[in-house]
Amino acid sequence: MIAARVLAWIPFLHPLDLPDGARLWMFLPLAACIALVYRATRARRVSDLPRATVVTFINLVVGMWLIAIAAYVVHEAVLRLT
Amino acid sequence: MAARSDRTARAIQAGLLACLLPGAGHFWLRQRGIGLVFFAAISLPYWGGAAIGGVKENINPVANRWLFIAELPVLSYTLIGMAASRSLPTVPPTQYSPYVSYYPESDVAQIFLATAGLLNVLAILDAIARAQTDGKPVFEHELAAGEAARHEGGT
Repeated sequence: MIAARVLAWIPFLHPLDLPDGARLWMFLPLAACIALVYRATRARRVSDLPRATVVTFINLVVGMWLIAIAAYVVHEAVLRLT
Repeated sequence: MAARSDRTARAIQAGLLACLLPGAGHFWLRQRGIGLVFFAAISLPYWGGAAIGGVKENINPVANRWLFIAELPVLSYTLIGMAASRSLPTVPPTQYSPYVSYYPESDVAQIFLATAGLLNVLAILDAIARAQTDGKPVFEHELAAGEAARHEGGT
């Protein structure tokens, strides 16, 4: 059944079936691309990129985590206080 | 005067090339490494998004106008995607279509495609800036401006 679906899938024409829970993980490659492009706009040469990109990537991921935690705390507080 | 118009022409050419294909403007400015980085970091989310959600509704100026506008900075990819989208049959919304994506694939695809398009705006602006400054990145201007301000403050 799965093999038949895979064989019938035409990339870019048929949408993919994302596994459950994959949606959140898709943030990681996107954050890596954003970090890379942002750092590339500020690089003199390519050798400047790897370290700066990793630092920006970590900043993005940690920042998004903190925003998510803050939103969760506010949500819980609103639920308890109302 | 001639040098200034040369730089303007270079900036316009680099900007147009960067719009046509991610990284092409930098490649043309002989910054091949940076051009390849832009190409990979913008093409990956664009075609990743198109593969996840399919092109039918996600690269379509009628079905999703604002998303299409966000994708337009990556002009060649968007035109290819739009042509592919138009070649697919349209099914009434009440019927199932194998070409239409739904939650969560649709959400992820839209975020990837819009982000790739908007990242290419950064790449286009960077290509234009580098064409005007012989390949120096944006923050070089900031450094120079800061230096000038310090000199003015000191005198």
